Amino acid sequence: MSNLTTETFDANARAALGDVQLRGALRNATSLFGKRRLAAARGLDNWEELRTRARAIKDEVLLHLGQYLEEFVSNAEHCGAKVHWARDAGEANQIVCLLAKEHGAGKVVKSKSMVTEEIHLNAAIEAEGLEVIETDLGEYIIQLAGEAPSHIIVPAIHKTKKQIAELFTAKLGIEPTDDVDKLTSAARRELRQRFAAADIGISGVNFGVAETGTILILENEGNVRLTTSVPKIHIAVMGIEKILPRFADLDIFLKLLPRSGTGQQLTTYQSLITGTKRKTEDEGPDELHIVLLDNGRSRMLAHPVTRQSLACIRCGACLNACPVYQQIGGHAYGSVYPGPIGAVITPQLIGFSKAAHLPYASSLCGACREVCPVKIDIPELLLYLRGEITEGPERTRQEQAAGAGGSIKRKIGERLAFKLFAAVMTRPRFYEWSTRGARLLQHLIMRDGKIGRAGKFLTRVVPPLGAWTNARDLRPLAQSTFREQWRNGLAAKPAETPSVKL
Amino acid sequence: MDLERNISARDSILGSIREHLVASAPHDGVHAEGSEEIVTHLEMTISQPNGAALSLVEIFKDNLEAVGGHCIVARSEPEVIAALRDIIRGLLMTPLRARRIALSNAPTLEPLIRQTEIDVDEIAVCPSTAELFDYDVGVSTAQAAIAETGTLVLDSESEKHRLVSLVPPVHIAIIEATSICLTLGEALAAVRRGESGEVSPTITFITGPSRTADIELTLAIGVHGPQELYVVVKEGLQLTDNQACTV
Repeated sequence: MSNLTTETFDANARAALGDVQLRGALRNATSLFGKRRLAAARGLDNWEELRTRARAIKDEVLLHLGQYLEEFVSNAEHCGAKVHWARDAGEANQIVCLLAKEHGAGKVVKSKSMVTEEIHLNAAIEAEGLEVIETDLGEYIIQLAGEAPSHIIVPAIHKTKKQIAELFTAKLGIEPTDDVDKLTSAARRELRQRFAAADIGISGVNFGVAETGTILILENEGNVRLTTSVPKIHIAVMGIEKILPRFADLDIFLKLLPRSGTGQQLTTYQSLITGTKRKTEDEGPDELHIVLLDNGRSRMLAHPVTRQSLACIRCGACLNACPVYQQIGGHAYGSVYPGPIGAVITPQLIGFSKAAHLPYASSLCGACREVCPVKIDIPELLLYLRGEITEGPERTRQEQAAGAGGSIKRKIGERLAFKLFAAVMTRPRFYEWSTRGARLLQHLIMRDGKIGRAGKFLTRVVPPLGAWTNARDLRPLAQSTFREQWRNGLAAKPAETPSVKL
Repeated sequence: MDLERNISARDSILGSIREHLVASAPHDGVHAEGSEEIVTHLEMTISQPNGAALSLVEIFKDNLEAVGGHCIVARSEPEVIAALRDIIRGLLMTPLRARRIALSNAPTLEPLIRQTEIDVDEIAVCPSTAELFDYDVGVSTAQAAIAETGTLVLDSESEKHRLVSLVPPVHIAIIEATSICLTLGEALAAVRRGESGEVSPTITFITGPSRTADIELTLAIGVHGPQELYVVVKEGLQLTDNQACTV
């Protein structure tokens, strides 16, 4: 991943804001999913209780993650799975590529999985000279287009059917059409051959059950079932935080995840896979490999605020609810995980020096917290991370000193500005003087009794002033403050009693 | 070499988890109030759907039809056969055809399909994976169903269901009314086997036909899995011994 900076984020966001088609698509999608989510949540009379309970289960897992992981591994291996531990992306990719080599595999089919996007598995597999095909329709489209997903649940949300039709005509040689059913069946025909020919199927995992060693994957299309049933080898890549303690816990999470993601009561298919087939004549792969990935997750356990990030079940509800995501879409974030949850997990996964702008890509309105099915306090996390970035622990400061230029300078300026602000606000006399001074100085920039667009110089000196006055006027400070009016006789006036006529 | 790497990776990940949890302990005193306690305190109140007047079969049918599946309730074996005949005849007149029919290995299926006496090209039990891609219809049973979501529950230890219910464009499932559970939670309990609560290698939940909305959020049915799902619910007949919802 290239370095993500405030500058590229601003440029990306600006470009997205100018893209009328993209904003229309985003508006449709986010409002539709938002409405469906709400309707689905209201369909259950214990929604709040389910959220609380789900979060309690996640907290329980995270506080005892080591034990639950070992229980999961032992049960999965007892049922015939082989578990591989991967400290980071490189190790996970290496495990998958080695497995492919060992089995002389040339063709890989994949079902949609954010974690494999996180580790850029496709690039690693292709670098080994193997063919890897995404089979989720949305992922297939963006793979053909050479792009990245822009939404956790609907990866190709940014593309119109006309663009998809042109893509399919160019890459699959179909007749030009704008009929969605025809486009879908063209993809079905093409991908069926891929499934039939594949040596390895790679999937993600939604939940891993410690009690039974089961992995569970949700979907609507059927491509996960084909990926995990047809090829001889199934490799499932899962983050270490995906564990649930008990099989019965699936009940709660299967109620929350589809309703929060797409507003469905249940997605079309759930595959619950527990080890490999017991008899050779049975259906399904001969081998199941589970790759357990850390890649920065265990670090998040170090504080209760950051630990919340690991409760995420990747439903996408916070994306749909976020006023920032609604306007700029997933690509502007420049990270694999977009939206509010992306803004909190990306800096923790790849380091502050590479993603220090993301915790600022939020208005802190709290809509994400309202919709989160596992009650992650995303605004709290955003603030915590902002704090770490501006005056964070030694680790952060060292990282900053080593790497990022411009954005850090701004952070230092910001720190000084807030120091000054605190100094003024905590000393009444000081406050009064500075108000008086500002009242005099403001005449220099006032026009017709208001403060209009700030010039370049002022914008550079006081960036927030430029940002504010860019699109609206700023009201000047009043001629006298309340305290002055009070001293000049307001205190002596009798209070007017409001007259109430009956 | 890989084994060594794996052990050292495991140890360092588990070590990192331990180390960071220890680091968080002082903060946890402030923030979390003993999460284990929370869990035991929160006994779930399972909400029963309103309208106890509706039978499980009716609830199941309503929910299945709401997601685009078809549901036919049959009260005897001849009615099951008649329902199957109607379904296949109907399909023969559509582009989906129903010339080649694949069955799972559930022993009750072949006699039922044969008795429909419909003239099709082929009826095969568990064709190979490669062959299955050319079949028009897949027929299976299901070991349980969930009324509140309209879901079929298929268990790989009872029946080879994985491909026959997935690859052909049409899936027909014949289920027992007695195997229908009300809730998802009951179904999750019903799939546990034996005293130790073992789970079969593959359990598949199916709720309606395959669907996607990946192109401009327009619903398209039948992307990778079946385009049509028919469920024949048989009231008052045992298909096999091990299929009753045991909860």
